[in-house]
Amino acid sequence: MAKFKFDDDLVRSLAKLLEETGLTEIEFEAEGERIRVARSGGAVTGTAASQPQAAVAAESKAATETAEVGEEHPPGTVTSPMVGTAYTALESGAPPFVSVGDTVHEGQTVLIVEAMKTMNPVPATHGGKVVQILVENGDPVEFGQVLMVVE
Amino acid sequence: MFEKILIANRGEVALRIHRACREMGIRTVAVHSTADADAMHVRLADESVCIGPAAARGSYLNIPAILTAATITNADAIHPGVGFFSENAHFAGMVAEHDITFIGPAPEHMAIMGDKIAAKAAMKKAGLPVVPGSDGPVADEDEALKLAAKIGYPVIIKAVAGGGGRGMKVAHNDEVLRQALPITRAEAKANFGDDTLYLEKFLETPRHIEIQILADNHGNVIHLGERDCSLQRRHQKVIEETPSPALNSATRDKIGARCVKAVKKLGYHSVGTIEFLYENGKFYFIEMNTRLQVEHPISEMISGIDLAREQIRIAAGAKLDVTQKNIQLAGHAVECRINAENPKTFLPSQGAITDYHAPGGLDVRVDSALYSGYRVPPYYDSLIAKLIVRGRSRNECLMRLRRALEEFVIGGIETTIPLHQRLITETDFINGDYDIHWLENLLEPEA
Repeated sequence: MAKFKFDDDLVRSLAKLLEETGLTEIEFEAEGERIRVARSGGAVTGTAASQPQAAVAAESKAATETAEVGEEHPPGTVTSPMVGTAYTALESGAPPFVSVGDTVHEGQTVLIVEAMKTMNPVPATHGGKVVQILVENGDPVEFGQVLMVVE
Repeated sequence: MFEKILIANRGEVALRIHRACREMGIRTVAVHSTADADAMHVRLADESVCIGPAAARGSYLNIPAILTAATITNADAIHPGVGFFSENAHFAGMVAEHDITFIGPAPEHMAIMGDKIAAKAAMKKAGLPVVPGSDGPVADEDEALKLAAKIGYPVIIKAVAGGGGRGMKVAHNDEVLRQALPITRAEAKANFGDDTLYLEKFLETPRHIEIQILADNHGNVIHLGERDCSLQRRHQKVIEETPSPALNSATRDKIGARCVKAVKKLGYHSVGTIEFLYENGKFYFIEMNTRLQVEHPISEMISGIDLAREQIRIAAGAKLDVTQKNIQLAGHAVECRINAENPKTFLPSQGAITDYHAPGGLDVRVDSALYSGYRVPPYYDSLIAKLIVRGRSRNECLMRLRRALEEFVIGGIETTIPLHQRLITETDFINGDYDIHWLENLLEPEA
């Protein structure tokens, strides 16, 4: 069995991430190694109804970067209409549909989500300026995942 | 063996499958709707993918979404669970077309068993007893009377194009049959546009007894005995037990062997359950479920065989590692299906679970995806927990079950725990003296 190398840089950066994001726990696993960093003082699995902390911890426990599905998104966020693969350009090498800073109008195709070999254009829900693009070309995406923010 | 299995289901059965996978070192992918983002199996799975909105047709019944999720996660197999697509031959075929293994039987067998008339014909051919009947339309009164004499009264006249309990009449003698035929024909014509009728033997107080079988791709088939699922309300099972109080070991061995022979003849492979109505010492095949059943844990408790695990192993091409001779069915097990419903009115209850304490102890098992703080979503069926208890004898099992139900706490919503507590104290139940109408007859005056 390979010796688990204690990587304190990794722990420090994970701890910093906890602080910055307000999460109470991050668990990361890759290639047979797993590390979990938890902020003490917050019960992660609530046992009694009287602990309001339990409810908060449960909600902030998303260790992935996808937004909580089913929650209210500010107007202008573009979410994925289906599970599939997101493409930011029509084909590799082609220019992307939009870039950060571009102005788009409502209904303009900003991304494509591919599912079962069909390409589904994703339109901007509101006109405005592209502030954030949260996926990269070829990323797998979930239903409801926030793909882009347009203000 | 598979490296990664996508679980195309939800609730306690998805958790069950996840557990079996993890025990085999197989990675899991939990696909879920937006309403199930906080489900226990989603939290525990190695990967999770939100595939659609709360309504099942957009998520759990959305074939492209499920197949896409399998593709982007590189799953090599899909487990369909129970309900949803678990008995859908079309889905199974599409999964295979995508070079993903469907954990279940071949689509052809799913298609045959999905059609009740074809299933009956196939099982009759394979040597199983079926409900005796006309095997086709009844032309006229003379034919009907002759057939009724042959089958024996009472008989039931049914519309070939019918369903939903309509276009049916029971006749206890020739006189009633003569009168009922034209009336039923008219009713059938009015309701279904087709007045073709057929005849079947009517069973008045049958028990529902089903046989669990397992078959691999190498011709090996075994059975794990029966489950008595007679306690039903509106065709939904409420309590199941094994062994059945109505069978002795000779009867069990005989019907088990006949089922094994039939399954071998069909060439079926995977787990499966053959359901019978049982009356006056005779079995009558009604249908075969080509999937894992909700009540499978009671068979696991008395046999020690992990059915979800075996189902996965079979799908991966492995041989069954037990023979019929090695199977030991020991003790007695009962399962209580606990629903998020009012125990008297059966109105669905939803909301957040405030306190959760599952009973424990020797031979006490709870299959549930509940946890404190979990919100029971209103979009799906109301089964939220299964309490499964085993004892060395039926008596010991029931004592333990009573104690376990006392201890079970699910706060914040209404559940049918009080109903179960009541049912297990009923004299008829304690004596094992019940049939498929018993529960409804018990509850009817109070409705």
